[in-house]
Amino acid sequence: MAGRGVLAYGFLGLLLLVVGVPFYWMVNTSLKTSAQLQSLAPYYYPSPATLGNYAALLGTTNFPIWIRNSALVAVGGTLVTVLVSSLAGYSLTRIPYPGRRLLATAVLIVYLVPPTLLFIPLYTILRRVELVNSLWALIVVYPTFTVPFCTWLLMGFFRSIPRDLEEAAMVDGATRLGAFWRVILPLTTPGILAAALFAFTLAWNEFLYALVFLHDTELKTIPVGLNDLMFGDIFLWGELMAAAVLTTLPVIVLYTYLQRYMVEGLTAGAVKG
Amino acid sequence: MRPSALRRGRVADALVGYVFVLPLCVLVLGLVAYPLGNAVWISLTDKYVGYAPRFVGFANYTALAGDPIFHKVVRNSAVFTLASVAVKVVLGMLMALALQRALVARSFLRSVLLVPWVIPTVVTALTWHWMFNALWGVINVTLQTVGLQREPIAWLGQPTTAMAAVVTANIWRGFPFFGVSLLAGMQTIPRDLYEAAAVDGASPAQRFWHITLPGLRVVLLVTTLISLIFTLNDFNIVYVLTRGGPGTATHVLATYTYEIGFQALRWGKAVAVSMFLMPVIAVMIVIVTRSLTREE
Repeated sequence: MAGRGVLAYGFLGLLLLVVGVPFYWMVNTSLKTSAQLQSLAPYYYPSPATLGNYAALLGTTNFPIWIRNSALVAVGGTLVTVLVSSLAGYSLTRIPYPGRRLLATAVLIVYLVPPTLLFIPLYTILRRVELVNSLWALIVVYPTFTVPFCTWLLMGFFRSIPRDLEEAAMVDGATRLGAFWRVILPLTTPGILAAALFAFTLAWNEFLYALVFLHDTELKTIPVGLNDLMFGDIFLWGELMAAAVLTTLPVIVLYTYLQRYMVEGLTAGAVKG
Repeated sequence: MRPSALRRGRVADALVGYVFVLPLCVLVLGLVAYPLGNAVWISLTDKYVGYAPRFVGFANYTALAGDPIFHKVVRNSAVFTLASVAVKVVLGMLMALALQRALVARSFLRSVLLVPWVIPTVVTALTWHWMFNALWGVINVTLQTVGLQREPIAWLGQPTTAMAAVVTANIWRGFPFFGVSLLAGMQTIPRDLYEAAAVDGASPAQRFWHITLPGLRVVLLVTTLISLIFTLNDFNIVYVLTRGGPGTATHVLATYTYEIGFQALRWGKAVAVSMFLMPVIAVMIVIVTRSLTREE
């Protein structure tokens, strides 16, 4: 029995190493000058460490503007997502009406439709409504993948709340809206937090739509901006890895803070609708 | 309450239900269903950016059927997807089994191991790009330092190693999703099944084969299919790591669609490329949906 425990921890240690090395390399690279990056002595750690890449990234590139754009789009997309999916999630689990099951299935189907099939027709729609090359394009389009996912997630949370609670409130004269607002929503706060976190992360990480729908450098989001930086001619790995660190940091901070809800949400979604 | 009042209450309630779900319906119909229908139409035209589309029937599809690059792209997509998903399933299963045994620090380890799945894919691809760098990448330098390799290898510059590189980055990002989902699945298997099996003298391998695996059937099926769908459509990792190169060695359906659509500006043909996947994806979606809704 003890032998298998050692084996299990040994394997987990190996996985930690596999997961950790790229992160270490990101940070290590971001703290070196270009000259240090192209030298073997020393190679595996920065000596002396420098914050020059961070200063250059924030001072001489468009990175600060990209941060602003990514933040605007992710926050905007998250607000829309939370509003639409909490209303829909509640409706689909708690209010009986014809067609409800069909709609719930549709949500799942839509979640699985890949962006590769959609980006060209979406482009034609956005052009028609003159949203191409505007951050609004992403705020409008991101809910196409965040809303199905978050609705599905929230349906699980809504289902777990005892029905008696809202029925009691409604017998006491509260309307459906009142029961939803005052009884159900407060109880679903962890679920809504998890949904918001997922929506934010998905929007913050999105690449293909942002690459296709936005053209101006001042409008780009971080992933697209990084991709542009990479294919310049200069040896920019120090700055690029500094950017990688700064892009990953907010996600990791959010995740550390809310990971319990997130893991719960993910497993609720994957294991049981 | 009298029956008629009760019924009025139900109707009013249903009305609230429809109002609540309306924004979702608008979104789904306007930004998913309509574009999908539109995609079918575009793929039947010779749409070139800046010109009005003309109906050409299945011309785009027949042209692709005879296009050697497209054949290569389909094969690449199959290799990329099957290799990535197979390793992700195995690693994820091992991760879940190890976590299941780890009584101390289980949830901490689970959270840390899930981090690659949370961070932006472009960052993942960028970091692996740098690690695979031919001259100063950590992989080459380390292999040379420990003496496993004399000359630096241009990982991203040769067909086979480039494919291995994009598969590696994809696995690194995706295996934790399997690990966490399968662990959650394992925790729903009743403990007394294992205890009974232990009493009967079943070996760990037998217990895994006869209890764990059957217990994970649905979770395994669903996570594998979801991963297949999204890996088959992966754009970010391949695009950032290799741009589909060298040559067309790692070009997959998503990067090829993008290239034809936004570099060659031939939308009719580009959409036809992505449409080839529709039947496969549709079948997988049906199975996932069935498996997930049947339990309720």
